Amino acid sequence: MTEVATAQSKGRAEEKLKAFHEEASFGKAYDGRLLAKLWPFVRPYQRLLWVAVIVILVSAFGSLARPLVMKHAIDEGVLSGNEQVLMNAGFTLAFIAVMEQILLFVQTYAVQIAGAKSMADLRGAVFRFLHGLRQGFFDTQPVGRLVTRVTNDVDAIQEIFASGALNAVGDLVRLIGIVILMVMLDPKLSMIAFAATPLVGAMVVFVRRRLRESFREIRAKTAQMNATMSEQVNGMAVVQAFTQKEAAAREFDRINVSYRDANVRAIKYESMQDAAIEMVGAVCLASIIAALGYHSVSFGTIVAFNAYLLMFFEPISALAQRYVLLQSAMTGAERVFSLLEVEAADAPKLPNSTEPSDKSAAFSLENVVFGYKPERPVLHGVSFSAKRGEKLALVGPTGSGKTTIASLLLRLYDIQQGSIFVQGRDVRGFSREELRANFSVVPQDVHLFPGTIASNIASGEPDLARVEKVLRQLQAWDMLASRPLGIQARIEERATNFSAGERQLIAFARALYRDAPIVILDEATASVDSDTESRLQKAVEELLKDRTALIIAHRLSTIRAADRIVVFQTGRVVESGSHEELLRHGGLYAKLHSLQFAKDHIEPRGATPASTRT
Amino acid sequence: MRIAGPGRISELFILASVCSDVRRVSPFPVTLWGQLRRQSPRYTLGVGLLGLYQYSQYWFDTRLQIAVDAATKGNRELALTLGVSLTLVALGAFFVRVWSRVAMFNGGRIAEYELRQTLLERLHALGPSFYRRMSTGQIMTRVTNDLVQVRMLLGFAILNLVNTVFGFISTFSVMLGISWKLTLASLATLPLLTLVTMRFSRQMFGKMRSNQEAIGKLSERVQSSIAGVRVVRAFGLEGREQSEFQKNNLDYLEKNLSLAKLRGAMGPVMQGITSVGILIVFWFGGYLMLKGEISSGGFLAFYRALARLSWPLMALGFLVGLVQRGRASYARLTDIYSAVPDVVDGGKTLPGKLRGQLEVRDLSFKYGEAEILRHVCFELQEGASLAIVGRTGSGKSTLAILLARLEDTPRASVFLDGVDICDLPLATVRGAVGYAEQTAFLFSTTAGRNIGYVLPDPDTELALQTIREAAKEARILDEVLGLPDGFDTVVGERGVQLSGGQKQRIALARAFVADAKILVLDDPLSAVDARTETAILEAIDRQRARRGLILITHRVAAAERCDQILVMDQGRFVERGTHAELVKASGLYSIFAEEQRIERELEILSQEGSNAVAVGT
Repeated sequence: MTEVATAQSKGRAEEKLKAFHEEASFGKAYDGRLLAKLWPFVRPYQRLLWVAVIVILVSAFGSLARPLVMKHAIDEGVLSGNEQVLMNAGFTLAFIAVMEQILLFVQTYAVQIAGAKSMADLRGAVFRFLHGLRQGFFDTQPVGRLVTRVTNDVDAIQEIFASGALNAVGDLVRLIGIVILMVMLDPKLSMIAFAATPLVGAMVVFVRRRLRESFREIRAKTAQMNATMSEQVNGMAVVQAFTQKEAAAREFDRINVSYRDANVRAIKYESMQDAAIEMVGAVCLASIIAALGYHSVSFGTIVAFNAYLLMFFEPISALAQRYVLLQSAMTGAERVFSLLEVEAADAPKLPNSTEPSDKSAAFSLENVVFGYKPERPVLHGVSFSAKRGEKLALVGPTGSGKTTIASLLLRLYDIQQGSIFVQGRDVRGFSREELRANFSVVPQDVHLFPGTIASNIASGEPDLARVEKVLRQLQAWDMLASRPLGIQARIEERATNFSAGERQLIAFARALYRDAPIVILDEATASVDSDTESRLQKAVEELLKDRTALIIAHRLSTIRAADRIVVFQTGRVVESGSHEELLRHGGLYAKLHSLQFAKDHIEPRGATPASTRT
Repeated sequence: MRIAGPGRISELFILASVCSDVRRVSPFPVTLWGQLRRQSPRYTLGVGLLGLYQYSQYWFDTRLQIAVDAATKGNRELALTLGVSLTLVALGAFFVRVWSRVAMFNGGRIAEYELRQTLLERLHALGPSFYRRMSTGQIMTRVTNDLVQVRMLLGFAILNLVNTVFGFISTFSVMLGISWKLTLASLATLPLLTLVTMRFSRQMFGKMRSNQEAIGKLSERVQSSIAGVRVVRAFGLEGREQSEFQKNNLDYLEKNLSLAKLRGAMGPVMQGITSVGILIVFWFGGYLMLKGEISSGGFLAFYRALARLSWPLMALGFLVGLVQRGRASYARLTDIYSAVPDVVDGGKTLPGKLRGQLEVRDLSFKYGEAEILRHVCFELQEGASLAIVGRTGSGKSTLAILLARLEDTPRASVFLDGVDICDLPLATVRGAVGYAEQTAFLFSTTAGRNIGYVLPDPDTELALQTIREAAKEARILDEVLGLPDGFDTVVGERGVQLSGGQKQRIALARAFVADAKILVLDDPLSAVDARTETAILEAIDRQRARRGLILITHRVAAAERCDQILVMDQGRFVERGTHAELVKASGLYSIFAEEQRIERELEILSQEGSNAVAVGT
């Protein structure tokens, strides 16, 4: 009983893990539906493909003609003692050979251009599509997976073009041509060659299937091996703390062994394939020669036959590899196009917009009900508004829904009930660009993009004079421009070359540069030390001057600049008014304030600055 | 021949000797020379078979010549006998060729396997100072790209080196036997093939590298753009992102096309050279035949031999680059192979059965210049509990890491049952001191296997029970059962995303399963709410008979439960005592206690009136 249960549970876990790792599994090699979706991207470059097809056909005929010219040269030139014929044939052959190579280049390059360009377009389309998806979509998707869609998966599709799938057309024409020509040259001799064909066919079927399996496994195992390796390196502390070196090495060894074995199999079948093709050619030649005594034929014909035989079996060896590439291309296409099918547009303009009760407000919320999951609301009927030029502070314990308000004003999410108005218009009546042009946001965690300080401050092409002006206004010029390259200093990966304070200043500058009528400060100074904070305080004042502001704050000290304070608790507005009014009222704000005061007060020694980090 | 001369061969051996001082942990040799020697039976077999194969080709061509001549002169019996034996030789050559490839390429593959396995084992043995020096990205480049280059050197390069030598001997014997004039004529263009290949392969490698760099930049751009999607939206940066992306996209396209152009040119140029060479032979050979200097059999045999020559000539061109790159790659691999582990096993054993008594005597520790711990002392009796409280940056986490010797713990500072942990085998120390870290790292495997990480077979009935029990103690059972596939749900970096608190509790359950005598928990519940934390600490209390506890925390409510509390500030202990004593003492601890009492009240305030779950954004 127990054994059965164990076996089952083992099977289950293994199955899940297998399903998980088979993200790199393969679909069909050919899928018309996917090709139809791919076509619009290729269409603009289809002329290149047609050129390639024509070129392939022309060069196929050229290569078919070559052995015939050779036969002519030998039989009519060499064996008949006619030097002129040999001479002319030599020139013809040289011409064909050179033309063939030029055409080959034209063809491969044309296909590659079409492939690379259409896939660059596809990449751009996927990227654009991602930026048009609503915020909720990104909350559920790992970033890495989306990056893969734009990069690796599209690259896999591009392999169709790079691998020369189109050459199959030329190969087919060549095969048919060789058969016809050989029969025409000498039907009896060609029978010897064709007698070998079933043998070759059987061999090809045998080897190709196995080779395909091995290639497929190699691809899957390579991915798994690299993933496991990088994970063990990242989790090295855990491996060592639990002394699991042996187990981890064993686990890796399993993958490493099957990777090695798949390769060893591939080596065997691949060399069998190559050797078989060579062997069949040689055997055919040997048989023809054995028969020669009984079936007289010109020497030129033998030479031509030999040349055809060398060509005949060659394309077969490319087939298995092409097939695998085609499969992985289809898998890539499947993933890319199923992403493109996601229907979740970001902030579309809707007809059901409503009118605000107070048209003069810079922004207002009326009875807003919202939850990230509709069945779990985080805002329960929230209403408040800010007059133009008013500085409004949102205060409340962590998790009370303050940051959500900022997201909703920008319409990153759609609310379930109620209305939100900006500049007297329902947010659902704006286009997203128009709506968001009203806001400058300074978030708690500053995200910096690859590029320079200047390119991060300016949106679009940086106007350096304006960037400087903004930084001077914020009194941040000295601090940020002191690097060797000044504001053209590059931002390293994950912005490790900038301190939290510097990053925050860049975010302020970004907001000021944008010069939008409403500023949202979302816990903007929460993660910096007190020295930087005083510097930032000046930046805040500068930024808020003559603008409407929504200040979301943890620390009550940062909201002194506010005209009015809205107090939040578990998704509801519980109080609002000026600092003095609220203190007098003696409600939640007064409690928060006294606690904060007490907390500030019990740190008389200023205790430990976070200077020694572990 | 000139290019692959003895100089190149000796190069292979030089690279080997450079690295002979590498220390060995695993049975596999990690030097090129060592691997060559280890795979030598395969190589020897391969060399023999390649020789035999090339001889069979020589035999085939020369007998072909005789057979064709015999047939054209009407000697049908001889042509028939020879035709039959040629067929047999062709069949035999098939097997010889396959075996030779298998023997030699397998040598390369097996060497690759052993080198990779050893690489991982080395990485396991290396301590944190190594990982501070080399990033995951740098390590992964070595494991993927560099190892492939070395394999190419040990498989492809060696095979083709040998094959080229034998191939030259075989083809030139055929060709010179037919006509030295024609041989000379064929040499007019063919050596070009080697030079052109050399050039192409070098350029190709460079272009492939810049192609990879371009896609790297492209994916960094996409990564950043998606990770910062909120900023993009708030600032309406979609257009800018689009055009920045397009820049990278076009750059990648350009690199792609330049690679495509080179690839597209490579085939035609090489085939062009080959066919011009063959044409010259055809032409001049035809002329010689016409003059009666060579027979028609000689013509055909020469033609075949020449066709066989083109690959070895090209391979020679590839070899130069392969050896260079293989050598450079191997040098990068030795960065790992020759790194000396800073934390190694000690030679002593524990005097008796493990009791679980831990003592820290005058422990000081530095990272570079920064003093992290200064003269730290404390003692933990069997089954006792101890809390270490302090602010961020006070040195708590470093202390925790040193206790399990996950860093290079100084000698004579930490003692387990009275023995310096530096004198004990690492397995003993880490088996006795179980450590759960704050930033829980989970592997991309099932939740069950993450919890049962230390179990040799996590699928037995008993193991499943243990895992379940630990999950329950760590208060994660219900949440695990609520996952799409329960315990069989794949979690971790690439699996289902868990919250910080969930990850921490799974990591804690993992530490429970490990069942160490002393449990060191480094703020393992920072992302868990207070009520759950209390429940978990109660569970730990219940297991106290089995193990001692060192709890590193910033929460007074958690520290309160411990027998003894140490307060840490700037790398030293500033207070010690029980909760009651310390609160009275009105030192740093009492400040923490007061601060947290207020925070607690704030939390209660926020929870009042509604029990709705707050969702952070």
